[in-house]
Amino acid sequence: MASREEIISTVKEFLSEEFEVEKSTIEPEANLQETLDLDSLDYVDLVVVIEENFGFKVTGEDFVGVVSFNDFYDLVEKKLAEK
Amino acid sequence: MLLSKEQTTEIIPQKAPFIMIDSLLSANEIDFKSSFVAMEQNIFSENGKLQEPALIENIAQTVAAGFSYVGQQQGGPPKIGFIGAISKLKVHQLPNIGDEINTTVTHLHKFENIYLIRGENYVNGNLLVECEMKIVVQE
Repeated sequence: MASREEIISTVKEFLSEEFEVEKSTIEPEANLQETLDLDSLDYVDLVVVIEENFGFKVTGEDFVGVVSFNDFYDLVEKKLAEK
Repeated sequence: MLLSKEQTTEIIPQKAPFIMIDSLLSANEIDFKSSFVAMEQNIFSENGKLQEPALIENIAQTVAAGFSYVGQQQGGPPKIGFIGAISKLKVHQLPNIGDEINTTVTHLHKFENIYLIRGENYVNGNLLVECEMKIVVQE
């Protein structure tokens, strides 16, 4: 199973590429939605890159409580552990 | 064929002269297929060819007809979808008037009530237009 550091590195890589943001803006406590400038349609792209990179599906319920990138890393860790 | 032109027209929100689909050929959880003949009187007919907007709208109306049909088959009201975004659009060639266009819409992903689909239309196996669309479905 991927370590927290590996998850962070992978997430930074695909999010910066997909949403065209600098990796340096992806800080643990930064707001995910604001940093990536996500609207409701963009969440589909987020779901696609998560599945492509980690091999699991996420639902709207999974994003409840996900505010910061740290929350997002927690979600990825939890989903990977469940695989 | 699942639905004739008249039946297909009844289950999509678009009205003449903006109908860019003839028949829904198949519809399931994986993909939708439709056919459409390029007619001279089509509002997007120009210089003997059907123009890009008709082909893009043809993909969108295949989605509309497919979702509506599947919704009805599941015993609910027809589902209405709206195009949220179009991406990865490539126009390869335009059909001649009289050509029969066959369209395939494949479901790629779903998140809540937003569907990511891939649409392609062909004439005799030759690709005309391909794109991805995000469709917001009213559920």
